[in-house]
Amino acid sequence: MTDAAEVKNDISQNISRISSGGAGYVDARYYMEDSSETLVLYDGDLEANDTTVQSGVGVRVLWDGAWGFAATSDPSGLRSCFDKAAQNARTASELVKAPLFMGKRDPVRGSYSTPVEVDPFTVSLQDKLTFMTRLDNELKDEFILKRIVYANFMKKSIHFQNSEGSEIQKDLSHVFGMMMAMALDCDGEMQRRSMNLYSTGDGTAGWEMMTNPELFSGHAGRIKSELVELIKAPQLEHGRRSVILLPGQGHLQVHETIGHPLELDRILGYELSYAGGSFVDLDSFGKLQYGSEKLSVSSYGGIENSPGSFGFDDDGTLELDYLLIDRGLLVNALTSRAMVNEANEKAGREVFRQSGGAARATSFYKAPIDRMTNVNILPGTDGTLEDIIASTEDGIVVDNPVSWSIGSNREHFHFGCEIAWEIKDGKRTRILRNPTYQGHTLEFYRSLSAVGDRSTWKVEQVNNCGKGEPNQVMQIGHGVPVVKFDDVITGERK
Amino acid sequence: MLDANIRSILMQVRDEAADQGIHATLLLHHEKSHLMRIGNSSVSLNTSEDLLRLDMVVTDGRRQGSQTFLGAIADADVVRSVLAAAKEKARVASPKTYDPIPDEVDVPVSEDSQFDTDLAELDPEVKESAYREIFGKLGEEYNYSGSWSSGATEVYLLTTANRNEAYHRGTDQLFSLVLKHPASKWELTHQQTGWRAADFAAEKTTDEIGRLLPTFENSGGCKVDPGEYTVILGAGAISEIVGMAAWTGLNGRGWEEKQSWTARMKPGDMILGENISLVDDPGNPHTFMFGFDMCGRKRGIFPLIGDGELLNLMYDSGTAARYGRKPTGHDTGSPSLVMDTGFGPSDPLDAARDMGRVLYIPALHYMNLPSRSKGIFTGSSRFNAVLVEDGRIVSPIFSTRITDSFQNVLGNVSVISSIPESVNGSNTYGRRTPVAMSVPSYMIASGIKITDSADSF
Repeated sequence: MTDAAEVKNDISQNISRISSGGAGYVDARYYMEDSSETLVLYDGDLEANDTTVQSGVGVRVLWDGAWGFAATSDPSGLRSCFDKAAQNARTASELVKAPLFMGKRDPVRGSYSTPVEVDPFTVSLQDKLTFMTRLDNELKDEFILKRIVYANFMKKSIHFQNSEGSEIQKDLSHVFGMMMAMALDCDGEMQRRSMNLYSTGDGTAGWEMMTNPELFSGHAGRIKSELVELIKAPQLEHGRRSVILLPGQGHLQVHETIGHPLELDRILGYELSYAGGSFVDLDSFGKLQYGSEKLSVSSYGGIENSPGSFGFDDDGTLELDYLLIDRGLLVNALTSRAMVNEANEKAGREVFRQSGGAARATSFYKAPIDRMTNVNILPGTDGTLEDIIASTEDGIVVDNPVSWSIGSNREHFHFGCEIAWEIKDGKRTRILRNPTYQGHTLEFYRSLSAVGDRSTWKVEQVNNCGKGEPNQVMQIGHGVPVVKFDDVITGERK
Repeated sequence: MLDANIRSILMQVRDEAADQGIHATLLLHHEKSHLMRIGNSSVSLNTSEDLLRLDMVVTDGRRQGSQTFLGAIADADVVRSVLAAAKEKARVASPKTYDPIPDEVDVPVSEDSQFDTDLAELDPEVKESAYREIFGKLGEEYNYSGSWSSGATEVYLLTTANRNEAYHRGTDQLFSLVLKHPASKWELTHQQTGWRAADFAAEKTTDEIGRLLPTFENSGGCKVDPGEYTVILGAGAISEIVGMAAWTGLNGRGWEEKQSWTARMKPGDMILGENISLVDDPGNPHTFMFGFDMCGRKRGIFPLIGDGELLNLMYDSGTAARYGRKPTGHDTGSPSLVMDTGFGPSDPLDAARDMGRVLYIPALHYMNLPSRSKGIFTGSSRFNAVLVEDGRIVSPIFSTRITDSFQNVLGNVSVISSIPESVNGSNTYGRRTPVAMSVPSYMIASGIKITDSADSF
């Protein structure tokens, strides 16, 4: 793109032109910058040293209840891009059974910037590699066969305008880090321990997260020492027992079996042909006991240093803080403007009072869909991890996913984890290999018997949530404490 | 065809780089994509993308750097700036412990045998009217969703190693429809794939879904208890299982690093049942044919498993360099896998006539690998899955989970269909990358482990 002010002016004129031509709603997202850098050290070799730069404009037009979308990375093609989006919307409007509408909204003017102390794009490649090589060296050991140190940095500068007169500027920055060590176990099977960069919820989201020993860089020794025990450990035997999820595993449990089933577009059937549906329906809100009374779940945009915090969504809605599940009762969903209107219309009553600010697109050339923001289990009153272990008769503590497979309506699931610690009579006894557990979502959350306090709560980052057609990969956060579930099927039948 | 100006610019910058002694690979990816999405029996999104991406990789001895640019290539300076960025990244990069194998376009390639102008320029109104026709034929009382992706892809590859060019142009489409009963919640689906506009016909979908509708309308469905079952796996399920088995067991890196389920075997060993044969064949018209890899190597037929025996592993360029092997031109990133058909009748119900009670699982949803080393996968049935007794469909089944190993499933196959079927495995997460497998339309395997089942639709 050339001069940003000129492009913004062209966007304004085109929004007016298409609106006055009969469109019900028009918006445009201008990505002035969308940069990403990926670095991967694989056994010390720099296997990925990649940067991607892109810029462009995505245009959405609502015409007689149907969306049309088009995008261009060529500033000279802006007018035809708007025309294409409008034409696509007109074609779409020929087959509409349930017209979509955005409702009326006063103009929103605002901005949001991810708080950053050190912009990772200002850190030299040399400094980044020096840091990563130090971590890689810390992972080295004779018994370790493979080592991976991964870093990914993202920076987006997005200007949003719509036909309601809203104008929003967002400057987003994300940092992702991962380290992993692998070794062969006593049966010749590859085992691994890994560590993903997380946050405590407060603070900044720049390069400083990477170098913070608590959040990331200080964990190489721990995962190595756990791996050396893991490869000598016995296998987890099949049976029913309590399962205690550390946040490294708990966040994915929340992501797959609370986050996805509560995306309103999914509930309304818009994802059936790809990602799937949801066991939740519009009648469930205010009635469905999703979990035990210990389960309270929020969608919270106020976490300072999480990729699920973005200020305003791609409908121009302020990102909100609200409960999805209140003491076990399902009360709300992850919503966008058009989906809220459709749901209320369909239900014939006000199921949702307002959009939750969850319309998100992954790049300028994708249309917004309902996504997770920061979907969190709120901290409980059952103390620390050690307190929860002490109250457990027969169970396992598990960490970090190896595999995850979820039913198409999110009604059942199967997870494999990196490591388990056996609990007998309130004490950790030994490490176990190849832990898996499976269950049915409602039965599982209703068996939630302990929720750790704030000291156990961590914000885990997800940088690869896939959804939508065309597919979009989104960045999300999950604040999760230590949680315990009872009478869960664990291990595999022989 | 490739824009002449862009081609000229890329060749100019390639020549400039070569003159300066820079080792560079220039890969241009151009897609014109269209997707119509259906939700609640309406068009929920009608979207067009026209995107140009340039990947530049610079190799400086043992150092490498790359830069991807998405945007307009108006002049040579745009390409020079991408080259400069990649060169700078390579300069600062830490050196590898091995010598990278330089990319080189072996021989000039220009291919567009799977390009169809009608599909490249398919009017979205054609899609809208096809969905309208299908809704009308199957019944307006149901709730419909689906998507129809179509588009054209151009890939143009140059390296500074020589003046050869590799060019590919193709079209592809993937149509899907999901019919959901608004009250009972069961779902039926049908997909169509191909590279020509004429590959699609609305009646294929209405016929297939119409065939299953009475069973689903007239039965409440049933839950499958955990245990071992004889299962008819449809083409979708076969492609998921075989594709994942190949990805985790037949790539050289996983094998060299002892991560794969084949790690303790070697070429020549029996690894699957003797009725299982698999090749990577980019010339098979049931796949999306791609005649060269992204490093410039010409691709031909590459046998992987023959009558159950491990024949070859696939080595990408990086893995080959690291482990002192020769790159095969075939890797698990863009496969054209072809599984041999067998001698089974065209109708799987005929094949199951004397088998008593069997499950028919056409496709698996959300497969993953609890143990890559043991080749254990898990995934669940979703659409169109039914219980069959003596060759007769008796009831739909609720979402049913299989957790088993590749070797058990692909080692106990008693019947393989004689009919090949193309299964589209493309994803559009990043750039348009058409991928399809050719597999038998079904196979029947015994002793399959069912580990869980939902309680309702």
